[in-house]
Amino acid sequence: MRGAKPFPPGLSRPAPLRVVVLASLVLAVSLSPGDARAQGVPGEDTRTASLADLTLEQLSSIVVTLVSRRDETLADAAASVFVITSEDIRRSGVTSLPEALRLAPNLQVAREDANRYAISARGFNSVLANKMLVMIDGRTVYSPLFSGVFWEAQDVLLEDVDRIEVVSGPGGTLWGINAVNGVIHVVTRSGADTHGGLAKGGIGTEDRIAAARYGARLGKADVRAYTQYREKENTERPDGTEVQDASDRIQAGFRADWTAASNVVTLQGDAYRGRIDQVISERELRGANVLGRWTRDLENGQKLRVQAYYDHTERDQPGAINEVLGTYDIELQHGFHPTARQNVVWGGGFRYQSDRVENLSPALAFRPASRILRVGNVFAQDDIAIREDLLLILGLKIEYNDYTEFEYLPSARVSWKPRENRLVWGAWSRAVRAPSRVDREFYVPADPPYAVLAGGPEFDSEVAYVYEIGYRDQITEAFTVSFTGFHHDYSELRSLEPSPAGPVFDNGVEGRVSGLETWAGYRTGQSWRVSAGFVYQDKELEVSPGVGAPDLGNDPNHWWIVRSSLTMLREFEFDAILRYVGSLPQPHVPSYTALDARLGWTLDRRAELSVRGRNLLDDHHAEWGAPAARPELERAVFAQVTLRI
Amino acid sequence: MTHLRLWRRLVPAALLTWYAVPALGAPADEPSALERRVKAAFLYKFAAYVTWPTPPASGSSFSIGVLGDDALAAELGRVVAGRTVEGRPVTVYRVSETDSLGNLHMLFVGRSRTSQLEAIAAAAREHSILTVSEAEGALSMGSVINFVLSSGKVRFEISLGAARKSGLALSSRLLGVALSVVDHRTNGGP
Repeated sequence: MRGAKPFPPGLSRPAPLRVVVLASLVLAVSLSPGDARAQGVPGEDTRTASLADLTLEQLSSIVVTLVSRRDETLADAAASVFVITSEDIRRSGVTSLPEALRLAPNLQVAREDANRYAISARGFNSVLANKMLVMIDGRTVYSPLFSGVFWEAQDVLLEDVDRIEVVSGPGGTLWGINAVNGVIHVVTRSGADTHGGLAKGGIGTEDRIAAARYGARLGKADVRAYTQYREKENTERPDGTEVQDASDRIQAGFRADWTAASNVVTLQGDAYRGRIDQVISERELRGANVLGRWTRDLENGQKLRVQAYYDHTERDQPGAINEVLGTYDIELQHGFHPTARQNVVWGGGFRYQSDRVENLSPALAFRPASRILRVGNVFAQDDIAIREDLLLILGLKIEYNDYTEFEYLPSARVSWKPRENRLVWGAWSRAVRAPSRVDREFYVPADPPYAVLAGGPEFDSEVAYVYEIGYRDQITEAFTVSFTGFHHDYSELRSLEPSPAGPVFDNGVEGRVSGLETWAGYRTGQSWRVSAGFVYQDKELEVSPGVGAPDLGNDPNHWWIVRSSLTMLREFEFDAILRYVGSLPQPHVPSYTALDARLGWTLDRRAELSVRGRNLLDDHHAEWGAPAARPELERAVFAQVTLRI
Repeated sequence: MTHLRLWRRLVPAALLTWYAVPALGAPADEPSALERRVKAAFLYKFAAYVTWPTPPASGSSFSIGVLGDDALAAELGRVVAGRTVEGRPVTVYRVSETDSLGNLHMLFVGRSRTSQLEAIAAAAREHSILTVSEAEGALSMGSVINFVLSSGKVRFEISLGAARKSGLALSSRLLGVALSVVDHRTNGGP
């Protein structure tokens, strides 16, 4: 029985009882949306109630800050976003970042050999795919040599990954040139989430991995340090000969987070070294980066974020080029509410890259060998609540680059939320891929006459106008679906045009990609989850006779994935992933269906054993490359022990 | 490239990084709207995973007090409208430091009242009130549950010692979801 009790001793100044009964007031507020808005919470009256229907775990997984540059949940994002969670990664048993990306149905991932991958969304896939923006904790990892990602140079300790956000479709208004077909953002856990020790060791028919991490609270900071070593064996061609692509690499890094009142400061860095066999000698990769980020909540819901990083990479490719790239990047962003109905994010950034290439071969050359590249930008985006359930999102980024100077990246989005967890959205965007060094400064052979190709001194930006419409719904607590229809209209795509001096890169190709991305998930209790995704896309290029269109992607027109995650007796986990990829046209790669399965046994919270089988359905299949030379991926088994202290 | 040269390259980067990071120690401030909504939902959910020492009187309401964050109190009012805790209606009170806490089951102490948290938590303990806070180091000030932001998500940490002293039993499910659980028997830090 609880009754009125004396004033608590710890509290001074006894005063008349003036507890304000709020319930009736609140009822009044919820009946009059105007008042709620006056509190600076536009259009959110009906939303809180249904959050209370979520489980503790679901509440714990709602992202309230960061990557989208705005505070929003996945359910509210007016874009085609798929989030790969840390649990998805663990349960799938994947051992590398590119393999983890296969879990996103809106990405096309093709493995070329032991180390190289072709990864893109909405077509134009290639090992040198150049229309995706990829970031690891806010650090851009694409190479200015070709505007794409050297996937073999990117590694993370997967146990420290919090989530991977995969956006298919343009993100240029917020993220800038290169975010034409999609954005991949790998977000690692905060230092506060990785206390304690972790050790893992894995061995398989194709690769071996060993890693250790330790995290603790040091003074006012949450700190962790990790190291990871991995080895990969040669892959094989169907005739049994080995492709010389075995590799090993070691990486180490740290992250420290300070949280003080409304400030969060993060300092993190990594360093790595890798060696990859090739026919002559071996390639060597080295790199290191350090990044600092400061976010601060200001008054009236304002938010300030400053981030700066330095990234150093080296690639030694005997017989081709040695490259040393240094990147300095700083960005600032501020969010505020100019009126109760608006949420504005604006900011700017500057990147300075010094790229030094040593040309080692008479067969090819970058010229000038060394190059300074500068990119500067300012952007603003305004979310306007037209009605409680209707949001208009207008944004513009203006970006300067040394090749084409000013580029404009506008977008307009509308989202309608007829009820909680149901969203209908549409978007129009203009996206741009600015020239990379390959487009302007690459010559084959190294000296004139350039009989094979020459970078085009006039090569201009590739432009895409993108139209999207989407629907996302949580039909029941257990069942979610997402549909996105898209149409990309490209102009100024890269072509190879004849000239008196030899073929030259130009902007002579136009193209269109249209399609549908859809996925759904179903969960029964805590023990079984099943999800599926399907993508259909149709790509058409208009290439004039006599003009070449090299490397504009080798894309399947459909693929699908089905995943099942079953937990038995609390400690046994059985996961299966079945995926199909349609055939690739040029060069022809047959369609394939692959089954991966994992059996996991959690001994207690501290130890976990797992065995994973990959490509279980066939002896071997190819995913990328021309028939004669390409390796085929074989059935593989991998066993892993993970210990947590 | 030698290590020395690599480090020489990293030094200017470190300088740049630190240059861009101003000093800490600014005053506390407002959480975002979404953060507040999630916290409000959590507060309501917590009730189901906590056992209070005295059984409820039939017909009485379950009372949650909110100190120092009126916007969160409003959100919480919306959450609990039409909902119950163990069959009892839920009432949200906006309280001040000078109010009696005796009729409350749960008390949320906003970030702006962190300086008084130690005294408030001590008072709440006398009445077996579940104290929930949102400040760094709040568990060492006697709070039972403390919200923290981790990787952009709202998570919470739990002090088993403080719960025990308040006579509250917390379910293992709640402990399982917590970001961290400390069991210090004194009021000192973990």
